[in-house]
Amino acid sequence: MADSTSTCSLVVIILDTNPAWWGRQSNHGNPKLSLSKCVDSLMTFANSHLMMNHLNKIAFIAAHSNFSHFMYPKRQQREVTDIDTNIGEINDGKYELFDRMNNQIKDEIKSLVLKNMEVEFENDSLIAGALSMALCYIHRMEKEKPIGVKMTSRVLVVKASEDNPAQYMNLMNTVFTAQKQNVVIDACILDNDSGLLQQACDITGGVYLKIPQPQGMLQYLLWVYLPDPSTREQLTLPARVQVDYRAACFCHRNLIDIGYVCSVCLSIFCSFSPICSTCQTTFKIIAPPKLTKKKSKKPTT
Amino acid sequence: MVNVMKGILVECDPAMKQFLLHMDETEGLGRKFVIQDLDETHIFISAEILPVLRDRIDDLMDKLSFPLNEK
Amino acid sequence: MANSLFSTRTLDCKDLHVYLKTLPSHILDRLYNHPATCLAVFRELPEIGKHYVMRLLFVEQPVSQAVIGLWINNRHINEHHICTRALSDLRIWYEQPLPGGMQGWILNSTFKTNMKTALLGGGEPWTGRGAVPLPSDKNSKDVEFLDKYAVERWECVLHFMVGSNEGKDGISGDTIEVLKHSGLMKLEEGEPMPFITPGGFQFLLMDTPSQIWFFMLQYLDMVDSRGLDLVECLSFLFQLSFSTLGKDYSTESMSEGQQRFLQHLREFGLVYQRKRKEKRYYPTRLAINLASGLSSITSDSNRKGFIVVETNYRIYAYTDSPLNIALLALFSEMLYRFPNMAVANLTRDSVRAALIRGITAEQIISFLRTRAHQEMAKEGPALPPTIIDQIRLWELERDRFKFNDGVLYSQFLSQGDFEKLRDYAKDLGVLVWDNNQKRVMVVSRAGHDTVKKYWKQLKQSGNS
Repeated sequence: MADSTSTCSLVVIILDTNPAWWGRQSNHGNPKLSLSKCVDSLMTFANSHLMMNHLNKIAFIAAHSNFSHFMYPKRQQREVTDIDTNIGEINDGKYELFDRMNNQIKDEIKSLVLKNMEVEFENDSLIAGALSMALCYIHRMEKEKPIGVKMTSRVLVVKASEDNPAQYMNLMNTVFTAQKQNVVIDACILDNDSGLLQQACDITGGVYLKIPQPQGMLQYLLWVYLPDPSTREQLTLPARVQVDYRAACFCHRNLIDIGYVCSVCLSIFCSFSPICSTCQTTFKIIAPPKLTKKKSKKPTT
Repeated sequence: MVNVMKGILVECDPAMKQFLLHMDETEGLGRKFVIQDLDETHIFISAEILPVLRDRIDDLMDKLSFPLNEK
Repeated sequence: MANSLFSTRTLDCKDLHVYLKTLPSHILDRLYNHPATCLAVFRELPEIGKHYVMRLLFVEQPVSQAVIGLWINNRHINEHHICTRALSDLRIWYEQPLPGGMQGWILNSTFKTNMKTALLGGGEPWTGRGAVPLPSDKNSKDVEFLDKYAVERWECVLHFMVGSNEGKDGISGDTIEVLKHSGLMKLEEGEPMPFITPGGFQFLLMDTPSQIWFFMLQYLDMVDSRGLDLVECLSFLFQLSFSTLGKDYSTESMSEGQQRFLQHLREFGLVYQRKRKEKRYYPTRLAINLASGLSSITSDSNRKGFIVVETNYRIYAYTDSPLNIALLALFSEMLYRFPNMAVANLTRDSVRAALIRGITAEQIISFLRTRAHQEMAKEGPALPPTIIDQIRLWELERDRFKFNDGVLYSQFLSQGDFEKLRDYAKDLGVLVWDNNQKRVMVVSRAGHDTVKKYWKQLKQSGNS
């Protein structure tokens, strides 16, 4: 009883709600996974997480194609009024807290889907933005937590849409921040493999998994993502995937294998330029370095 | 032949055992009470002496400790 | 036991699992009929066990034990065994042979159904939130009021225990019965009021959630004699602990037994009900923390700490509650009293006095720690390490001797005789100490008679 430190775990779920991808998915005739099913699975996952420990917390963020939206929890005042307005709504055996959270998320998703019908859709979602929102929230919770409680935080990204190399810089910045804050980033991929998230998971020590069968999403969530990083060490989990460590160049945002690196600030470029666009260093050598190398090498060999 | 004796087995650190032996030798408790000295940390004593012995040990402890704080 | 002569009794506060394991299996099965109990039991499982349950929750057929064994790393096989034991002991799963002849585990179907209900919805509504919504309460109470009320009620019980005047009123015979049953208080002949036992002092030093849990366990021990159904009470209790603070619940669908149970809970401050006949009640933080108090959570988040301990053994207690001061005085020497604060000294004598009463050093430390002032709690460890060490040393100082009642066997004529008798005593588990070279052994007093008998047999067979 002397041990007064208790641990709680905060999971921030980031759901990719890219309308283009989800829309295409439902137009395929027999949709493997609809948005509502995916949200249902995620909410069961969230409930399970809360069930593990009464101090556990959950947050829910939607990464849309052109903005990120914080869905749960809402500001403090809302929570209090919620209790008053929801009286008598529940009439089955579900645990109240779960029910309240699930309803709120459902409402938010509904309004999110209905509200943004007219905007032009992109093929990618603002994962980097949502991630930084998650990190900010985690940082706040870290500060507000009661004394004597140890908190471990992680982020679960559920991603369906394609990667956008344009987000490379922002994403990498958030990932390194996460690494500094000891936040683990997990990625659950529904469709296209994402090189960026592979790197994110690898750097922060999270799990990256492309779900082979989206119909069984809930089971994957419960098996792989429910355990805490500390518990994961004890369990047998899928092996790490080969990480695609390609970086995006600073000039055209292309993912490249081989490129030019500024010797001062380590910026990456796909083509040679005499002045580094990031740190303004001028390179004395006029000819491309590859050529000069060959020339200098020749006499020696 | 086997000798059978009832009593109390005391387990303590060597220093405290020496104290017990000393008490026994000098008859500090009025009489002898150690039945057998078993080893470094064990000693067998008669049961009746226990309450007196406990008081004595408390006294010893009191003598050993210093008041930590002044009022 | 002879040992009780020498060691002081410490209060045995069971956790939920130990308690549940004492229950007969048919009661356990009935308990799982409610989602709330399933939730509470689930939360107390070992971490790995929780994941096992979650992984099996949506699986209908038994899963082979070998497969489940593979879920965990070889390095942590120990945890695996602990988990499987715990899950079987609580009848959450049981063995079932697979078609291929292998042994498999299958989740208790009642448990599984109710876990799913709690998680996904469906099923019967919990009592207190019927289909008919309650009209909003015109005397609605806020959280602050409920906290204050709960603390007041509970402190009433504590006050009664220390015999201060404030606790005289509002303590029913039932509560006194529980206190007496639990051994926290004792009724001496010729005295009208019971008085507190050493166990009671230890109880007072516990933090509130543990106190409530201990108290409720004792209460539950006695429900049968009151004609209440244990399962009904327990599931209601767990349901309370999963309700929302500041929300009112209806008594409409409650059975008569539960209504009576509710009245008792009202007395301890676990629920608030304005009038006995009122059709609604509010669970208080005490009830809600009940489920959390089972595990390691020891901080009372609802109550502010008031104790500052300095490295010079001085305690400043910013409180005017006579109860708190009385508790403090159990193990410290009071120096000054002011209207809103008291100063005390921790001395060897005062701590020893507490230790003699059966209070342990750990209890004193946890009392100081859980009630530490916020400013103290901010800085890393809430108590100065020197103080913690010193209190522990004072306790150890009393433990320099270990006394064991026993019988000494010496002067064996042959090594063979000695070894025979020693091995016999060892097998019986009554051997306390032995020395091969000196041919001396000590047998506990309880085992003396059997060993003596064996020795006589041995001698007779040897002679004949």
